[in-house]
Amino acid sequence: MSDIGSRPALLDAAGLGKRYGGIVANDGIDIRLDQGQALGVIGPNGAGKSTLVGLLGGAIAPSEGTIRFEGQDITTWPACERARRGIGRTYQIPRPFLDMTVAENLAVGQFSISPFISAGSAQAERRQILERCGLRDAAEMKAKDLPLLRRKRLELARALALKPKLLLLDEVGAGLIDSEVTELIALIRSLQDGTRAIIIIEHVIRIVKECCADLMVINFGKVLTKGRTADVLASDEVGAVYLGTSHGRAGRPPQAATPAAAPKAPTPTTPLLTLERVSAGYGQARVLHDLSLSAIPGQVVGILGTNGAGKTTLAHVISRALPVTAGKIRFDGDDITDWPAHAVAARGIAHCMEGRRIFASLSVEENLLVAARDVGAADRKRRLERVYGLFPILAERRNAGGTSMSGGQQQALAIGRALMAKPRLVIFDEISLGLAPVMMDRLYEALAALKREGLTMLVVEQDVERALDIADIAHIINKGRITLSGPAATVRNDERLRHLYFGTEE
Amino acid sequence: MANPDVILNALISGVLLGGMLALTALGLSIILGVMRLVNLAHGEFLVAGAYAGLFLLQWTGLDPLAGLALIGLVLASIAYPIHRLLLAPLADKGPEASMMTTFGLSIILQNLFVLLFSADTRAIERGYATVPLEIGPLSVPQIYVIGFAISVTLITAVHLLITRSRFGSDLRASADQPQAAAIIGINVRRVHALTFCLGAACAGIGGTLIGVALSFTPTSGAAYLLTDFAVIVLGGLGNVFGTLVGGLVLGVLQSVGGLALGDGYRDLVALVLFLAVLSLRPQGVLGSRT
Amino acid sequence: MTATLSSPGRPGTTSLDRRAIAGAAAGGLAFGLLMLAPALLSTYFVEIGFKLLLYIVLAEAWNLLAGYGGLVSLGTSSFFGLGAYVTAGLLNQSGMGLPLALGVSALAGMTIALFMSRGLFRLRGLYFTVGTLALAEALRLLVVNVPWFGGASGLFVTVDLPDTPELFRFAAGLLALATAVMTLATGSRFSVLLRAVRDDEDAASQVGVRAFRIKLAAFLAASALVAMAGGLQAAKLGAIEPYGSFGMQWSIDPLAIVIIGGLGMRLGAVIGGAFFVAIGELLADYPELHVAITGVVLILLIRFAPRGLCGLAQALIKRRSAPGATREAGA
Repeated sequence: MSDIGSRPALLDAAGLGKRYGGIVANDGIDIRLDQGQALGVIGPNGAGKSTLVGLLGGAIAPSEGTIRFEGQDITTWPACERARRGIGRTYQIPRPFLDMTVAENLAVGQFSISPFISAGSAQAERRQILERCGLRDAAEMKAKDLPLLRRKRLELARALALKPKLLLLDEVGAGLIDSEVTELIALIRSLQDGTRAIIIIEHVIRIVKECCADLMVINFGKVLTKGRTADVLASDEVGAVYLGTSHGRAGRPPQAATPAAAPKAPTPTTPLLTLERVSAGYGQARVLHDLSLSAIPGQVVGILGTNGAGKTTLAHVISRALPVTAGKIRFDGDDITDWPAHAVAARGIAHCMEGRRIFASLSVEENLLVAARDVGAADRKRRLERVYGLFPILAERRNAGGTSMSGGQQQALAIGRALMAKPRLVIFDEISLGLAPVMMDRLYEALAALKREGLTMLVVEQDVERALDIADIAHIINKGRITLSGPAATVRNDERLRHLYFGTEE
Repeated sequence: MANPDVILNALISGVLLGGMLALTALGLSIILGVMRLVNLAHGEFLVAGAYAGLFLLQWTGLDPLAGLALIGLVLASIAYPIHRLLLAPLADKGPEASMMTTFGLSIILQNLFVLLFSADTRAIERGYATVPLEIGPLSVPQIYVIGFAISVTLITAVHLLITRSRFGSDLRASADQPQAAAIIGINVRRVHALTFCLGAACAGIGGTLIGVALSFTPTSGAAYLLTDFAVIVLGGLGNVFGTLVGGLVLGVLQSVGGLALGDGYRDLVALVLFLAVLSLRPQGVLGSRT
Repeated sequence: MTATLSSPGRPGTTSLDRRAIAGAAAGGLAFGLLMLAPALLSTYFVEIGFKLLLYIVLAEAWNLLAGYGGLVSLGTSSFFGLGAYVTAGLLNQSGMGLPLALGVSALAGMTIALFMSRGLFRLRGLYFTVGTLALAEALRLLVVNVPWFGGASGLFVTVDLPDTPELFRFAAGLLALATAVMTLATGSRFSVLLRAVRDDEDAASQVGVRAFRIKLAAFLAASALVAMAGGLQAAKLGAIEPYGSFGMQWSIDPLAIVIIGGLGMRLGAVIGGAFFVAIGELLADYPELHVAITGVVLILLIRFAPRGLCGLAQALIKRRSAPGATREAGA
């Protein structure tokens, strides 16, 4: 994929592998990168992409293989020495220095690589980087007061303060709306000055398509294929593994749409769940503003919006994992605003959390049973059988460790666990995140079955089409406020939905 | 150097004392594993157990071994309000705030012991503490054997509680993912409170046994805190039987160290081992999973 | 605390320079007054003053580690005792003067710190704390048990020692040194790196910070200061013994002072030290009660005022000066 010149490659990683006990995270990965090159790395979640960043950046020691940078063997170098040598990275989940200002966050890199840089030029550099990353106004804010998306910008800014020769970007585009992706692409392109090499790990295909000449696809820790970006993206193999249904636009099996279309025409009863002008946030950062919504029994409510819009915060607020700063939450006639989480669960709200949150030291069956609380043995068994009926694989693996299964199986376990409490309302938060399309279909089929049984559900999704397929009504959340609500069909065709997602607005 | 019988006796005593150490260390270990709390007042809980045994005997004439359950209850009922009033409110303030609070607690308790019970060295005097059990060349105080048996029984009971009972799965779930545990309906604060009580009870009962077998002072706690840390580090955190193994190994090493270098070096052996293992393998020798 | 980077848009340098000059002048004046103090104060207050100065030095060192570096140590007594033993030994054996002996003690403290750093810095967070506690206990037991340093009963210093007013001036000098170290360590580029390591060590090394060296620098500085304080205490008592010199209280007290005064606050050590010594004097006849009350105060402050008295004062001043004005973080 790269021309072998007379000079040594900037980066030459050969046979990189990482094993954790029996689990192979990376296996036999070769990367050769010259100055000025940009390489995209894609692959499903759990494919080992972030492990690769860790191996190259020095946070993770490889189990096998060598890494050469500018001709020098850096395989055993710690992260700090690699950074000083010119390898900068970002974290997928931002890790800023929380108690320091944004400007100080940048200064850390500056002062560590050049302790005697003049104050003036350091400041000018910082200002320029912050300007570039759209953080200029936040220079004196504490990093802990930044919302998530701005923290991601800070990740990039902090890496740039190192003036890296090789920049490793780990999912910097995740959660951005289209217009922001456009900005990000422009920013990345401006960083490609002909000498700096960039490795971009992404889910957002547009970014790699527009920024990287070469593309590598990883699956199950191994290189599946690599080559020119256009060729790789066009290959059937890659399409099958990765792009199956990327954003619901292309080649979706049609049967998924049918169950949702059947209108239940429920007679409007009193709502099961009501949120009245709820506000909430983390520390200084307010995420939800004055948000009101309700769900009547048997209804499926879709909560849509881009990453960072406040969807997960909303889910946490309803299950009381996060306190509200203002407003009221009612469930089945009770004001549950100040109830502790476990009491809310006992009252009948289950929350299938983002990221699955499986208990690692419990077996699959224990993970399920632990959620069936205060019921007799017969009832527990009945519920267990129901979950096993819904997901037979869980019955097969019942004695396995909770986290020893694949991502999709763990997600099935998380859904099953939520059902074990025999809840009257379930919040499903991003259950499709990072799963292969086939697995997503299977999970949503299960949800459709639950809907037919009359379960009230709140479906929080980034994947608009999937959510709208199953939802009766939908709310679009943007920057912590509901900006659009209505029956799923109406929302689907609303111009404003397209504005939000395709960036024709602001 | 010493004759083989002495060495054999030292080894056996080490194993037996190590079993008792393991019981006390279990108290520190489950609190650390479930609550992510370094309980720096652990040593004082242990000493409190020893005083409880002493006064139970002095005031009521009840044999401390017969009163072990009562002593466990006493410790748990001291621990419960401590958790409720001092630690639970700090739950979301980071691990250091709680640790420092237990540190404050430790110096309060230590000095209260001095104020209330004087700084004298005490021992719970029972016949079985001094009368040796003799089998062939072996000669160890009866209490060593009794204490070991009780400790291993209790450790097994705690193991069964954690792996087999519903409280056990609540406890493991809360240790893994406290937030997710709360959301599926586990009252994590209650689990933590009970864990803290259980930990204190283990420390207290172990303290009584040690108080009969050896002597103690108001300030003995610090040494046992560190010894118990050494046990955990050797055995691996959150691993009940690892803790037992860690206790036995440490007990033997202490005995051998004391025999070879002099009795004053017993605790030093534990500390040096602790520092060495901690800096070479922070996750412990036996790994860290149950 | 965040004055290390002049904010953009404000002409930073001149105001910074002015502040530095003002600070240096105030420091110089305070130092001058301290040097004169023994001549003006009664014997009792010189005694108290010596104790206070010593405590402030220990607390400054602890604050550097815990407040700025995130290294919560329970091993202050290791270095304190070490300093005491080295100073006493040198005074007795080599005929060295006190200043030189103190200097060598500082070196000895740094040497042990360097030696221990490999192991200790592998431990993160709470485990570091436990590790330092174990180190302190191990050193104490070692000194109790090995016969070389007078064993459990200790040694007397056999040479003539400076009188208390003179030692007070030594302590004032040591405090000046500690203040200089703290000013350098908390107001410089080094402080940016140190706080980055405190906030997230892994992320810091990803931007090139050699976390080990940064922590080591702070650890060395703190250990040197603590060792010299230990040496002064030995000179004051004219004796060393393991239970006193390596006593847990030398680990507890600085921690208590800083938490009372304000963790990571520049004035924390001074305010906390004054409060602590005052309570200590009031309860001088009831040492156990004093320590127990310290524990109570600790628990209360951690719960209700985690930034100590300085933090409380700061919050009060802020509320006074800017009523209603909230500098919220906008989106």
